[in-house]
Amino acid sequence: MAAGVPSLTVRARQAWTIATVELRRVFFARRALWVYGLALLPAVIFFGHGVAVKYRGDQLARRGVIQPALMDSVREGEAVADVKQRLGKPAEERWSVRSKRVRQHEGDTGITTHVIEPAVEARFVRLNVSRPSYSGEPFARIYEFEVYGPEGSKNLALGRPATGSEPCGTEQGPERAVNGSVAGGEADSWCSGDRPLFLQVDLGAALPVKRFVVKHASAGGEDEESDTREFNIQVSTEGKAFTTVESSTGAGFVEERTEYRQITYFDGRREARLLFVDGTLESRHIDRLLNFEEDRLIFAGIFQFFYLRLAIFFGCLGVFMYLFRGEMTNRTLHYWFLAPARREVLLAGKYAAGLIAAAVIFGGGALFTFAAMLWPHDAVEIQAYWNAGGLGHAFWYATAAALGCVGYGSVFLALGLYIRNPIVPAAVLLAWEGVNGILPHALQKLSILYYLQSLCPVPPPMDDEAPTLIRLLAAPAAPASRPAAILGLVVLTAFVLWIAARAVRRMQISYGSDA
Amino acid sequence: MTGRSADAHRPPAVVFEEVSKFYGEVLGVNRVTLNIPPGITSLVGPNGSGKTTLMNLMTGLIHPDHGRILMRGISPRDPETLMRITGYATQYDSAPRWATGFTFITTGLLLFGYGRAEAEEKAWKALERLGLTDAANRKVAAYSKGMRQRVRLAQAIAHDPDLLVLDEPLNGLDPLVRAETIDLFRAWAAAGKHVIISSHVLQEVDIISDQVVLIANGMIMAEGKIRDVRDEIEEHPSQYFVHCRDASGVAALLFGEDHVTEIRLNDDRMGMLVMTRDRERFARALGRIALDGHPIDGVVPADENVDALYEYLIGGE
Repeated sequence: MAAGVPSLTVRARQAWTIATVELRRVFFARRALWVYGLALLPAVIFFGHGVAVKYRGDQLARRGVIQPALMDSVREGEAVADVKQRLGKPAEERWSVRSKRVRQHEGDTGITTHVIEPAVEARFVRLNVSRPSYSGEPFARIYEFEVYGPEGSKNLALGRPATGSEPCGTEQGPERAVNGSVAGGEADSWCSGDRPLFLQVDLGAALPVKRFVVKHASAGGEDEESDTREFNIQVSTEGKAFTTVESSTGAGFVEERTEYRQITYFDGRREARLLFVDGTLESRHIDRLLNFEEDRLIFAGIFQFFYLRLAIFFGCLGVFMYLFRGEMTNRTLHYWFLAPARREVLLAGKYAAGLIAAAVIFGGGALFTFAAMLWPHDAVEIQAYWNAGGLGHAFWYATAAALGCVGYGSVFLALGLYIRNPIVPAAVLLAWEGVNGILPHALQKLSILYYLQSLCPVPPPMDDEAPTLIRLLAAPAAPASRPAAILGLVVLTAFVLWIAARAVRRMQISYGSDA
Repeated sequence: MTGRSADAHRPPAVVFEEVSKFYGEVLGVNRVTLNIPPGITSLVGPNGSGKTTLMNLMTGLIHPDHGRILMRGISPRDPETLMRITGYATQYDSAPRWATGFTFITTGLLLFGYGRAEAEEKAWKALERLGLTDAANRKVAAYSKGMRQRVRLAQAIAHDPDLLVLDEPLNGLDPLVRAETIDLFRAWAAAGKHVIISSHVLQEVDIISDQVVLIANGMIMAEGKIRDVRDEIEEHPSQYFVHCRDASGVAALLFGEDHVTEIRLNDDRMGMLVMTRDRERFARALGRIALDGHPIDGVVPADENVDALYEYLIGGE
């Protein structure tokens, strides 16, 4: 065995031997299961979306396909019958009627008239108020209560003695409701809040009565909501036994009915959803069942927001943080320390193993998702996209994912050497990477995300309506050029690995309970 | 490297200079100075005395807080050079989950730069030496405790090192393998290698050791040839507190024994401090005195360190 300093190739071979052993541990660790889950989740979602769209297309096509020109000919304001006659039987038709009760607004809503058939004999006429207002106020307000005989134009109650439940004030006694006027404001009405609420008039003698007129709050100029909501009218000849002759819910409601009808047509590619309200076309939405542009934008968003910021970040945490810590826990780290290898070589071997595993899992996951996004689309469209640089997009997505593992991997490897509990540093780092977009340019260069975003082929979709803060956080200013981004990332990684090497050189075996 | 020819006359040694290691506030080893020549050296001391700490320091698994260590001229901070000539069988009873006995040793050997065929051949040879060929292709995790002990030993010797550090290597070995292993140690020692083993039972190692190092509480109590160390311990007078009601009577009787060098009576006459050069004869004498009708209430060793060590190493098991 040659003494002296081993050559670089010998060290590289040592690192590779370490990496091959570690790869097995990283790829097949039970802990890695959720990492696979993270990497493949978007692929599953895209695949599910593709299946759902294909199923819907088949379903619509079976029910009839119309000419695209016919679909485009539909104009707002057209009647259902005309559209159906021109376009034929729709692929889908749904309708519903919505009705709502509204207070009647026609005529004099404050005055209700109640006719009873046949006329009855009565000396005492009583108005019982069970729900005094629409607004919920507990006060009954009656401006005038009129009683008429069978042929009558004469108000039998006018000026007759009236009694009732305790009035709101001395100026609003029962007599005010039989004084023949409504124009005198609140003092021209009977008001009471003392339940049971009632107003009673003595006609002087038993007379035949047939018609009652009640003038509620709005007849006297108050708000409609103060009108009586529920009441009845009772009569008696001797003032003891009363018979109910009329029950009323005030001026009442009308029902407003609106018919909504949604009709769907399909032209083999696009779906037209036509919404008719009461028989005329209110709005039309013509959308492609599968929108390639939109799906690509969604993928760009998923890649930037899910893969780069979440999956790769936490995946690398799971993989790299435990490269040393896990072996300390399992009490197997000393086997590596007792090998005739520099600690830096051990670090390199472990880093290489973590990197290969993470890059394969997340680069592969991103490409798999990309494929799942493309899959349901038209072959011609995909071919066109491919010719227009689609392959380049796939390459840069995979590269960005792999470089994400390079950067985050080094950071978590170093963190794992210095810190035992990953939660706090991970949270700090996540926050740092998150707010990086709004920091000064010099500080931005200390973030992995800054470089990764510069590598993405398509910027993430961003609504103009998104809040300013979110737009700032999601899209850092001044992206670097690709070579500069890769170089910057490599320099940053090398620096972090140098810090890790210092830690691993000083590292000592301490398995806890040994003396 | 220039000093190599000058050193050639002197065999390369394992050298500790004033080495201390603390675990936080707790002392691991304190100001250890050693110079261990090649041959079989036993580190002997009770559990927790610092044997493993010394071995971890020798192999660079931990670093000293003070002092300097040189292993045959190589610093433990340079594993690339040191571990090429060193094999360390630890007491950590763990092995990677993936490994069979054979792959475990082969993988280790690949890091030495051997080709796969050569590594496998050496691994097989090491397994053969420790009688593990039948279990070679089973997972180490499924081995019995004794087999795991042996596979660690096999791993430590597989690359034929000049410097073997073996933590309690005879633990858990059956008598046949034990005898073979000891023969192995002797052969290596004869070839000028360092064989440093640890044990908490002096009897286990005293016939095979060229020298012993006695450790207690992180300090070296004695060091040297086995004969010298034993004498050193035996000549060291030990002190006992003897509690008895008739202290002056007992003291008079004890004075008649030639191994008793000094007696100091307590003021209350209820006990005394006795110094003796021979524990066993002292014990026998106390027994006789008690039988003669002088009640002895208790005997407590007053000189904890050396006495406890002696009890533990020689009297124990």
